[in-house]
Amino acid sequence: MNALNSRIRIIWVLRSLVGALILGGAATGVAVYRSASLSIPAGLTALFVILGVVHAILRYRNWRYVVNDDALYLERGVLTQVRTEVPLVRIQHVDSRRSAFERLVGLASTVVYTAGSRGADVTIPGLTPDDASDLRERLKGLAIDADGEDAV
Amino acid sequence: MKLAPLSVPYRALQKAGRLAITLVVLGSVGTGVGFGGALVAAGIGGAIALALAYEFAYYQRYQYTFTDDTFDIESGVLNRREREIPYGRVQNVDISRNVIQRLLGLSAINLETAGGGSTEAAIRYVTADAATTIQDEIRRRKRRENQRRRTATKAADDTEGDTADGGSETTDSAATREFDEPDEELLFEISPSELALAGILSFDPRVPGLLFAVFTGSIPFVSPVVPEPAAVATTGLDPTLVLFVMGVVLLVGLVVLSWVVGAISAVVNYWGFRLTRSETELRYERGLLQRYSGTIPFEKIQTVTISDNPLKRRAGYATLAVETAGYAPGQANDRGSEAAVPIAGEDRIRRLAEEIDSCETGAFNRPPKRIRRRYLARYLIALAAVTGLLYAGSVVIDAAAGLPWYLPLVGVFLAPIAAHYKWLHRGYRLGADHFVTRNGVWNRETKRVPYHRLQTVIDSRTLFQRRWRVATVIGDTAGSLSLLGNDAAAVDIEVDDAVSLRSELRDRLQASLADRRRQRTGWSAVAQEEGQPGGTTSTADANESTGGEANTTADDEHRRK
Repeated sequence: MNALNSRIRIIWVLRSLVGALILGGAATGVAVYRSASLSIPAGLTALFVILGVVHAILRYRNWRYVVNDDALYLERGVLTQVRTEVPLVRIQHVDSRRSAFERLVGLASTVVYTAGSRGADVTIPGLTPDDASDLRERLKGLAIDADGEDAV
Repeated sequence: MKLAPLSVPYRALQKAGRLAITLVVLGSVGTGVGFGGALVAAGIGGAIALALAYEFAYYQRYQYTFTDDTFDIESGVLNRREREIPYGRVQNVDISRNVIQRLLGLSAINLETAGGGSTEAAIRYVTADAATTIQDEIRRRKRRENQRRRTATKAADDTEGDTADGGSETTDSAATREFDEPDEELLFEISPSELALAGILSFDPRVPGLLFAVFTGSIPFVSPVVPEPAAVATTGLDPTLVLFVMGVVLLVGLVVLSWVVGAISAVVNYWGFRLTRSETELRYERGLLQRYSGTIPFEKIQTVTISDNPLKRRAGYATLAVETAGYAPGQANDRGSEAAVPIAGEDRIRRLAEEIDSCETGAFNRPPKRIRRRYLARYLIALAAVTGLLYAGSVVIDAAAGLPWYLPLVGVFLAPIAAHYKWLHRGYRLGADHFVTRNGVWNRETKRVPYHRLQTVIDSRTLFQRRWRVATVIGDTAGSLSLLGNDAAAVDIEVDDAVSLRSELRDRLQASLADRRRQRTGWSAVAQEEGQPGGTTSTADANESTGGEANTTADDEHRRK
């Protein structure tokens, strides 16, 4: 079982910070408008930040993936823990991508698409760019070997 | 070949009608400014003439032909368009006719190809005969195409050219002979009593929403009907009681109306519903005002769902739905699966499901009994929340002061029963070829997914599920209804069972795929050696391989993109 690159925590923390700041800003706006004390929005923002950080750490800890002989297996989730098995025969195509945040810390993600409806795209975040393209190539190769004639 | 000549006036009137409405609206505004009625009439006349001229040109330009391997359409008056649709890519050919079209003997055709819900080609109005010809011709050529491709691949694989040539010729001729006479077997025909029942049991939930949207816009219109408290006081009645009674009357009216609307739409939709099967596809026909007919290839069928509720069970009825990959015919019209049998005797449904995709029956593995306590707790929490809200409302809003907020508490007695049934109905079974799940308190749904249709297998555990040491295992398919979260799911099973179920599903998927692959190659080998017109087994296998081939092409195209 592989863990993600530990720098993914930075991304998740950054993302939750953005969310916390937006919410905090809105709360501050309301507080200023109703001329209430600013301690409530400040406290709220702090709470969101703490929750975000804890969530990011737990999320990192719970994330595992492995490429088996015939399936890609993922384990993730903090409140709801999800384990997904993507049979290699079912892979339609594979992407690797880098968002702005990801480029900032030098990471990339690989996205696996199937024809399914619920788990139609499975994202593996927190890979180094090389790992991401390696994984993409490997999955692609395995998917072709696995004889994709039964993709639907 | 050309469109039906009658399509010219029909299309022209359709178009002119739209123009005329615009003109009338403009005219009614315009009269204030000084436009005369005569001008509007002249405008309408002009519009009709213009539309006729355009549609005649359209009719002149429109041309469809069957070439050896594509269906070609040339069209367009101002913008010319030429389309070539390979037969192999055509998935469904749907024909629909509404009342006026039937009077004029016209049919509308939609050609669907793989890859999404969009219609590849809409042929607007050919004669009814031509429509059936197109449908049959495309099906025939599509099969021949598949057949040819298969033999071609096989011949290419084969090192000894001579034997391959001889073999493919015999199979080809055998194939054509076979395809020229597609024997159709009637699977299901709705009986009048079933149609009536379908109507009675249909309740259109969209009606209350629609009425709500309409009436919230016209509160001022409603409020004069509601008696003023002062006026009511003189009659000596309790104003809150009057309000309450009016609410009840309104609610009952709403339910009755939704019911009537649902019943009418069900009867109109399912009038003359017929389901037939040929070797490779299901064909349906239905509709009173607008006649729909179409085909569903077997290889596209993903799941078969049988649902019933206590009332239907008591009367011995059930409902069947067939889910296909990607595109559900009529999806745009929001009616879901067209091959759905709205209601029929339970044994008929069971036999029909057996015909479509046979699956043995058996007992279900239920979730652990302790989980009933969780369901009960959930129901009680929901009841408490509703009661709390009503109570808060009755305290805060003066008009609602006398509201019987404690009414939902009656549900406390129903909650244990519901919790029990929720548990009782839940379960899963691993059949020989199918993963079967069952869910639902009132409306019980049994879903069967063939192992070779499974996509991803998802095992999820929420915080609360972890406390009860249970998990949910979902077998995702490429079905179209599953977008609503309707996948086959074994909910709340023991964590250990979930883990083993997951790996079991994975193994069975691989095993059944390997099996199908073996069958396919086995079949072509047999055809190669014997060149037999075919016993029943080889025909059945041919269907299987057709499916595989179609998928490969779709898949290849996908990759190339």
